[in-house]
Amino acid sequence: MTRYAMVVDLNRCVGCQTCTAACKHANATLPGVQWRKVLDFETGDFPDVRRAFLPVGCMHCDEPPCMEVCPSTATRKRDDGIVTIDYDICLGCAYCAVACPYQARFKVTERKAAYGKAGRMRHEDTRFDPAMMGVAQKCTFCVDRIDQGIAAGLTPGIDPEATPACVFSCISGALSFGDLDDDQSNVSRLLREHRSFDMHAELGTGPNIHYLYEGAASTDADETGDTPTPALQPDTTGLAAVSPRLQTNWDWRAAGNFIFGGTGTGLFAASALAGLSGPFPRLAALAGLALVALGLFCVWQEIGRPWRFLNVYRNARTSWMTREALAAILLFALGLPAIWLASTALGLLAAAAGLFFLYAQGRILRAARGIPAWRHGRLLPVILATGLTEGTGLFAIGAALAGGGRAVIWALAVLLVLRLAAWHRYRHDLGAEGAPVETLRALDRDRLALGWQAQAAVLGLVALALLWPAAGLLAGLGAMLTGWRFKFGLITRAAFTQGYAINRMPARGAGTSAPGVKPGWTREDGQQRLSA
Amino acid sequence: MRESATTKRGHVWSYCYQCVAGPDLLQVVTQDDVPTEIRPNAPAAAIHPAGGKVCVKAFGLIQKTHNPNRIKTPMMRTNPKKGRGEEPAFKPVSWDTALDAIAARLREIRETGLTCEQGFPRVAASFGGGGTPTAYMGTFPAFLAAWGPVDMSFGSGQGVKCYHSEHLYGELWHRAFTVCPDTPLAELIISFGANVEASGGVCGVRRHADARDRGVRRIQVEPHLSVTGACSAEWIPIRPKTDAAFLFGMLHVILHEIPRERLDIPFLKERSSSPYLVAPNGFYLRDPESRKPLMWDLATGRAVPFDTPGADTALEGEFRVSGIEEGPDDTEWVHQDITVRPAFSHLVDHLSPYSPEWAAEICDVPAARIRETAQAWMDHAHVGETIEVDGMTMPFRPVSISLGKTVNNGWGGYECVWARTLMAVLIGGLEVPGGTLGTTVRLNRPADNRWSSVVAGRDGFMNYPMNPTDRENWHDRSISRHEHQTLVPLAANSPWSQALGPTHLAWMMQRQDLEHLPHTPPPDLWFVYRTNPAISFWDTGAVSEAMAKFPFTVCFAYTMDETNHMADILLPECTDLEGLQLIRIGGSKYVEQFWDNQGFALRDPASTPQGEARDFTWIATELARRSGILEGYNRAINKGAAGVRLFGEGYDFSLDENHPHEVEEIWDHVCRAASAELTDGAESQGLDYYREHGFRAKPFPRKRWYLYPVMVEKNLRFELPYQERLLRIGQELGARLHETGITWWDRQLKEYEPMPHWQDPPGIYDAALKKAYGATVEEYPFWLITARSMQYSWGGNAGIQMIHEVAANVAGHGGVVINTRAAARLGIDEGDPVEVASPIGTTRGRAILRSGIRPDTLLMIGQFDHWKTPFAKDLNTPSMNSLVPMLLDLTDATGSGADLVRVRITRSGGTK
Repeated sequence: MTRYAMVVDLNRCVGCQTCTAACKHANATLPGVQWRKVLDFETGDFPDVRRAFLPVGCMHCDEPPCMEVCPSTATRKRDDGIVTIDYDICLGCAYCAVACPYQARFKVTERKAAYGKAGRMRHEDTRFDPAMMGVAQKCTFCVDRIDQGIAAGLTPGIDPEATPACVFSCISGALSFGDLDDDQSNVSRLLREHRSFDMHAELGTGPNIHYLYEGAASTDADETGDTPTPALQPDTTGLAAVSPRLQTNWDWRAAGNFIFGGTGTGLFAASALAGLSGPFPRLAALAGLALVALGLFCVWQEIGRPWRFLNVYRNARTSWMTREALAAILLFALGLPAIWLASTALGLLAAAAGLFFLYAQGRILRAARGIPAWRHGRLLPVILATGLTEGTGLFAIGAALAGGGRAVIWALAVLLVLRLAAWHRYRHDLGAEGAPVETLRALDRDRLALGWQAQAAVLGLVALALLWPAAGLLAGLGAMLTGWRFKFGLITRAAFTQGYAINRMPARGAGTSAPGVKPGWTREDGQQRLSA
Repeated sequence: MRESATTKRGHVWSYCYQCVAGPDLLQVVTQDDVPTEIRPNAPAAAIHPAGGKVCVKAFGLIQKTHNPNRIKTPMMRTNPKKGRGEEPAFKPVSWDTALDAIAARLREIRETGLTCEQGFPRVAASFGGGGTPTAYMGTFPAFLAAWGPVDMSFGSGQGVKCYHSEHLYGELWHRAFTVCPDTPLAELIISFGANVEASGGVCGVRRHADARDRGVRRIQVEPHLSVTGACSAEWIPIRPKTDAAFLFGMLHVILHEIPRERLDIPFLKERSSSPYLVAPNGFYLRDPESRKPLMWDLATGRAVPFDTPGADTALEGEFRVSGIEEGPDDTEWVHQDITVRPAFSHLVDHLSPYSPEWAAEICDVPAARIRETAQAWMDHAHVGETIEVDGMTMPFRPVSISLGKTVNNGWGGYECVWARTLMAVLIGGLEVPGGTLGTTVRLNRPADNRWSSVVAGRDGFMNYPMNPTDRENWHDRSISRHEHQTLVPLAANSPWSQALGPTHLAWMMQRQDLEHLPHTPPPDLWFVYRTNPAISFWDTGAVSEAMAKFPFTVCFAYTMDETNHMADILLPECTDLEGLQLIRIGGSKYVEQFWDNQGFALRDPASTPQGEARDFTWIATELARRSGILEGYNRAINKGAAGVRLFGEGYDFSLDENHPHEVEEIWDHVCRAASAELTDGAESQGLDYYREHGFRAKPFPRKRWYLYPVMVEKNLRFELPYQERLLRIGQELGARLHETGITWWDRQLKEYEPMPHWQDPPGIYDAALKKAYGATVEEYPFWLITARSMQYSWGGNAGIQMIHEVAANVAGHGGVVINTRAAARLGIDEGDPVEVASPIGTTRGRAILRSGIRPDTLLMIGQFDHWKTPFAKDLNTPSMNSLVPMLLDLTDATGSGADLVRVRITRSGGTK
């Protein structure tokens, strides 16, 4: 077998960005898009300061989270380990971009010219590939060069024409490329002869850019294990470029899907349950479906290739986005007849599909490995609880307007408590296990939505509604809006990326290596939290 | 990148010589005849020290070629008023119109006289960094050669942005216009601000990476943690401009704390001036008959001339000797039975006060660190060991010291280069494998062969083409407006000497004449190519004002910029990927460009010219033809002005001198001559061969990296540690200037010392600013320094979007770097708008907070502050150039100043 990998000798890298520029040339990426770039890290305090350069890009992971989540199967992993994107079937949902913990994927929707209004240059016209607009793109290890080189009898990593452009261009000899399954290959030898680390190894993705930080023979006074871990460093001063950043791939439109999808499925479920003790509430159920449809319309607005939306159904095997879309079909396929026929039985089946839709939404976030706030396991109960709470809250509004519904108020109370518990568990564990500082700050800013104060107020309204049913309108509204605000904040404000880390500052020449850093991250002790 | 089946791909060979650390070879990939990609030149891996690679700057050439902001037709100014605030109102004209206008002016000048009544050339020219424009200006050097005197004294960075002291003293001591560690063999490199990973080119980067792999110990001594500091084993954050104190401290340790036998005693005795006896007035004691300097022979117990075979000379001690002493202007003293000591003894005494403890206070570096660094020097020196190179046994001394910009120029430069070179001499590490090497000569001749430039001079040292200081031959006026022949003997008399003079004086004297020097009128015609002194020099405001007064400026223009804003005519020449030229590669050139091969490389056009841009060779030919100097122009080409002599033993590819020749015809002849030169006349392949292969080379013996073999062969000594010659010419120069009434150069005259003492460069700066502007350290508590950036340095590429994009990944670009704690003290946050002010101006930018910089230092990378250059003018990137005053008090004896100024920083208004 062949398993291509890149090895970066951090002792050699000088951060010159020649690889960055060569990649831009080889792949004709538009201004601002850098499939390969070199980061600039600084650690320590004056005068004991270290600085190092870290080339990054797609890691062509053994277990690529981008491939798992891709609903269209555009992202694939070849037998030789290279992760590719089929631009002709990618629908531009950018799910892969938020799933990648290495911030290696780009979705370009605007054909920018380097000199803007001054006009496009000849080579920009010559090399423009419309197929790459609105879809995901990333480093391919220059797969065309590899394939053409192999076809010509060349060896990738050895022969320049069969080697990724960044490696070929690297002036310091820091970058090497080759076959890890070949014990005698350059990359295998380098890894044997040096100490190395993988970035974000704890995420289990099996990245295939390996970083050498010290010769194997050297003694490392600080490091006892084989896999050094970087120290979390909340302060990002001077390190903004390598710290977690707010993701911009999913904006309010994606948030709209989580908001309306959650509320809609919750409302439909509440309606179906209400049908057990009375007539099937067709209007509420219809509103639930409409909300789900509205959410889907929102997200359809966001995808880069909207008319390829049917490609979302190509990966039921691993993608929760595909599964969510399938659940939506089932929800509408059962829900509309249920409403038409006023059938509670059908409605309950449709509600089950809706609940699966809601569960899929939670799993979508769970699988987004590039966003620490989303991938945490404790978020799933929050998503489920808040969807049901919002839907029930909306049902309660309707009930209040209709002049009754004590049972729904009780249900709402129970759901609110469950949601509150789920939120606090999520928030606590996220902080305790470590997260981007800005994520925690954003969540705490938005705590008003799901925190004690706001929820106590909502619960107060619920209590009032038990005495005075008309207050159910306000209670329902509070339950729903606080959930909406939370999810909006979760998607658009708390969604900081994984950022980058350098597990170990490299030894330079006769020097020694030193502890690495993961900037912009913190781990909260006990009850202590970051203030907003 | 996907391509359609109909895509037509091709490739063209070219080179990148945008910076002095080149040239490097490259391949341009074309798609449908449009250049689209830059790639390394893979076949050149066999002959190129960096495997045929080119650095990031070369990748900017695709955008440079197609930049929509290019000037694509000749232009003429219609607004006669010039100045930053004046719109030049250029209008497009035909090439005929533009060239005829220039030719008319040139003919008028020839008729009036090539020099003005004050003796200065009426035609002036300014070119960019380190001679690199010659690799792009085709046969224009032949035009200049045919023209006659041309004033090259209007600097665009020379003196303040170069390694000035190293250039001058390096050439004097070891034919080293640029000095470099023998990186392929180095074990220890102490680098004082030399930023090789940013400005050492791909050869430097590759070699130092290889050295790190070998475990080299590089110690970076620099106020901020530069890219090079980042790549070093250790970083010592020294106080700006105090490097000489650190070096003196190390010398003190070596001479006063380390056993003498650990030094390379044979080298000191045989290859240095250490044993020469010094007479009471500071000059050598000489044999009255031969007038040769005397040494004390321990074997015979008497003084003998320096070249006495078999003498076992004393380095230390006091001896009773008789002899004569030659002072300035034929002064002579006769000494009978006086007590004298060898130069080495004087050296030991000279360095006695400069202990690490003394240096520590000045440098803000612990004495132990200085002492330990000196110990490391000795530990890695391998004194006594040898190595075989090309079958020749030579000393092996794998230690060396690099000096960077600012360390190397202005006050303190002399001390630093002297101390650095002396450190090598003490362990026998000058010009030997592993040690401190010169890599090119520019001031001595021949400029393409260091070995041949080693010619015996007086007193056992190499000769040096000093500008004369004796009464009969001193130039009371120069051929240049900066008076390099008058003021700077060390600037020598080569074609490069004008560039090594005090180039800022040319600008200063446009504002105000210097007393007792002739008035310097502006040139009648000023050519400008690949340079932008209105941005790249110091005190850019004053420079801009001066050039606005020039009556006729011709700029070879790529885009509009701050200098050609003042031009009368703009000529769009074919840029890097459009023009045709053959240049020399390999051998031993600037920085780390010493190869195991030498030869020629072609720059073959990869693109049709944009708009009306024309090949520089065509422009030069047309200018020669229209201005009536065609014959001389062709003759100059034949004699080698295009880089290769067109005739030699057994071959003659000379051009007919009476007719103009097409561009390809000229370069075909050059290619044929190059082939013949490489094969001793056996082969004569022309342009087609180079178009197919890109380059041609033959081996360059590695032993020629080192001067040691030729020094031994000619039995010469390196002129260290004692500078008797400088002492003499300094006194003579002082006498000449005083005879003329010039006293404003007196401070500079004090620098002509036989062994430099600590002059307190920071104090000189503080005093100069106080004297000129009443400014105090309290008002301006920070030192502002700059650093080169690989992405930008020498590239003239601030207007290239891709360069800006990728440079932004390297911290420090685009703002003012300030220490994190210092910023906190001032209430400055990351990204805050800040204003940096010196006594002569202010500049604004964003704060970049880093821990890797001294709390008393600010850093602005590169040279920006553009107000005209498209794209660059919108970057809002600050530059120190407008903040550094041009003052005589800040000018050292060699005529250079340092990139350094006192400033204050405040948070300014505006939002983040």
